[in-house]
Amino acid sequence: MAHDEALGDVGRRDFLFKVTTVVGGVGVAAATVPFVTSMNPSADLLAKATTEVDLAGMDPGHMRTVAWQGKPVFVLRRTEEQIKLAVASKGVLDPVDDQQRVKQAEWLVVIGVCTHMGCVPNLEGEGWTCHCHGSQYDYSGRVVRGPAGKNLEVPPYHFSAADKLVIGEA
Amino acid sequence: MSNKIMQWVDRRFPLTSFVKHDLSEYPTPRNLSYWWNFGSLAGIVLVLQVLTGIFLAMHYKADVAQSFNSIQHIMRDVNYGWLLRYMHSTGASAFFLVIFIHMARTLYYGSYRAPRELLWWTGQGLLLLLMGTAFMGYLLPWGQMSFWGATVITNLFRATPFIGDQVVVWLRGDYTVGDETLTRFFALHYLLPFVIIGAVMVHLIALHMVKSSNPSGIDLADKDNIPFHPYFTIKDLYGLGVFLMVYFGFALFFPNLLIEPANNIPANPMQTPNHIVPEWYFLPFYAILRSVPNMVGGVVAMGLSVMLFAFMPFLDRSKIPGGALYRPIYRLQFYLFIIDMMILGYIGYVPPTDQTIVIGQIASVVYFGIFFILPFTSKIEEKWLRNRGLPAQVEALIASEELQIAQKKSGGK
Amino acid sequence: MKKQLLALALCCVASLAGANEGVKLEKIQVDPSNPAVKRGVEAFMESCHGCHSLKYIKYQDLVGLGFDKAKVKEWQGDWTIDSPVMGMMPDDAAMASFGTIPPELSLMAKARDGGNNYMYSYLMGYYTGADGVTGNHVFPASKMPDPLGISSATEPAQRAEIAAKARDIVSFLNWASDPHEQERFRLGYYVMGYLLVLTSLLYVMKNRIWARLK
Repeated sequence: MAHDEALGDVGRRDFLFKVTTVVGGVGVAAATVPFVTSMNPSADLLAKATTEVDLAGMDPGHMRTVAWQGKPVFVLRRTEEQIKLAVASKGVLDPVDDQQRVKQAEWLVVIGVCTHMGCVPNLEGEGWTCHCHGSQYDYSGRVVRGPAGKNLEVPPYHFSAADKLVIGEA
Repeated sequence: MSNKIMQWVDRRFPLTSFVKHDLSEYPTPRNLSYWWNFGSLAGIVLVLQVLTGIFLAMHYKADVAQSFNSIQHIMRDVNYGWLLRYMHSTGASAFFLVIFIHMARTLYYGSYRAPRELLWWTGQGLLLLLMGTAFMGYLLPWGQMSFWGATVITNLFRATPFIGDQVVVWLRGDYTVGDETLTRFFALHYLLPFVIIGAVMVHLIALHMVKSSNPSGIDLADKDNIPFHPYFTIKDLYGLGVFLMVYFGFALFFPNLLIEPANNIPANPMQTPNHIVPEWYFLPFYAILRSVPNMVGGVVAMGLSVMLFAFMPFLDRSKIPGGALYRPIYRLQFYLFIIDMMILGYIGYVPPTDQTIVIGQIASVVYFGIFFILPFTSKIEEKWLRNRGLPAQVEALIASEELQIAQKKSGGK
Repeated sequence: MKKQLLALALCCVASLAGANEGVKLEKIQVDPSNPAVKRGVEAFMESCHGCHSLKYIKYQDLVGLGFDKAKVKEWQGDWTIDSPVMGMMPDDAAMASFGTIPPELSLMAKARDGGNNYMYSYLMGYYTGADGVTGNHVFPASKMPDPLGISSATEPAQRAEIAAKARDIVSFLNWASDPHEQERFRLGYYVMGYLLVLTSLLYVMKNRIWARLK
């Protein structure tokens, strides 16, 4: 019953064993691909990757929260005052110029998900405050107080017309 | 290092001894033919079904308003959803094909004989579980055939004495097959495979107690048994490769052959399709149901047609081992039975006409007849063969078995 | 014992052969190539979309077939790009004019015995009877008016043109019933090739290992 020898022989049999093992292993590995990728977002979700927002009728200081890929996106029409505040600083914990975060100074578009633990901050004070753990963001969506360490993310977007915003496509 | 880890584990859990005793050095008759491959194949199909099923369940919705759409969602939008779904639907047929061949082998070679009765009965239990799981799974796509199949089959329980109507309503959770039925069928369709896995363990424990039968019908001497690994691991793997070619041939090139067209139409409780048929693996039993003009009688006959296999150890009274190998009459009965199954399958498929009903009734009588004459034919056949003379080994085995029985009897007194 | 397998296979074949009774359907080979499917889309939009929906096909999917967005926009009307292709006729209007609601067609290639052959034979099955009334060989109770005009076409060239159009429509509907079919076949060839190699290797291995027993 010395069965180990049956597999451990020298020469061609040994080589054959290795080849078969590798071929079989490759097959098993390839077979996991459909299973794993089936858990990724499906084609119909990917097709809904953009959200159109009609900006008509939004006054300065007015904010709308729209859903993009299921996430809240803040679209804020900033007042002169708010723009001035945003341009004046570079933020605190994750410094960056306001110009780099907007396409038109009047419109701020950020993903409304706190970069700490994923809660949705509220517009209050001089920007947004997240009530889960107290992080604060300014009118450019930059973090000014922790525990969050990163600014609110800017999604890809473009203006398809003067008052039409398309989120999800730069 | 790995040696040390193994020692650590082995002091706490019998891993090495288990693997040696039940896998690598498990003694297996060297003369097993390829018909003995189908047991391990069934295990692998079970794994395939569980895996594809779990991933499908991540996208499926058990709700009458959504199930049909969710299947289309899986088929069209989910990444490789079409592959998982076709593998699963083809896998159901593959499972039955493998199990039927596994059973046919057991019947042909008389592997159900003492001391393997419990092995055979746990297998019978597995067949029932498999049938239940397949039946409930078939409702989930919520197509026309799903709905009417479930309606007809749940209606069979009207044959329950006294409380038939209540039982049917209880099974469905509603007066007709509906949302409640769909949701509970999904819950059970997800649960039962794990019960099957448990039952397979019991089946295997029984197998490892009595060991595999073999085509000669005579349990081999130790020197003729070989370790399971590598001889049967490689043989089973080779068989698996052949099986997978057939399986993927169907799943990737002809997956719709096994799906009734009517099941691509959403369930409509207001209209029955002109021609409703169960899946091919239920057809012979369905034909028996239809052959009996009385409802209760039909249900009893159908139930009996599935359960009769369990009585084989009692019905076959011949002392000659090896099933059909040494027994021409039994062999004849076996082939007659297989042909009869085919005829019943065909009759179950075609819409009933006067002619097919008569053929179905004759085939049903033959089906039961083969079982019922077996106690007599097996005895007569034994007498005839022993008078004519059997191979010496077989005679010796019968003599030693008789001796054992005699000793037990005298010891008991 | 081999007979069993054979008989099982025969049983399957027999059950499939039994699927088509009654009218004899014309057998066609659908053309799964992209140009044919696209021609089918155009013919569908012209002749079928007036009444029939494709519940599981979105306008977006037509863009995916290679139509440009402007073209799809014409078909889509007021619907958004990710909405399903809905027939233009409201159900109650259809009920009033035809006495039935036209079935949605995205699964039609799979939902009838005969599949593609059925659809093609149905489309080509219209004729004008002696009394001048149009009927259909394949589906006599049909309430659908002859969509491609085959019943009034007499010129062979015209009939051939209609036949080609019917075939394109069927090719498109076949695609619509199973958009991943071609991908599946491609994967099938790879899987079969791979399994052939692996099984051959295992077979040689098996023989070598078993040879030790002699």
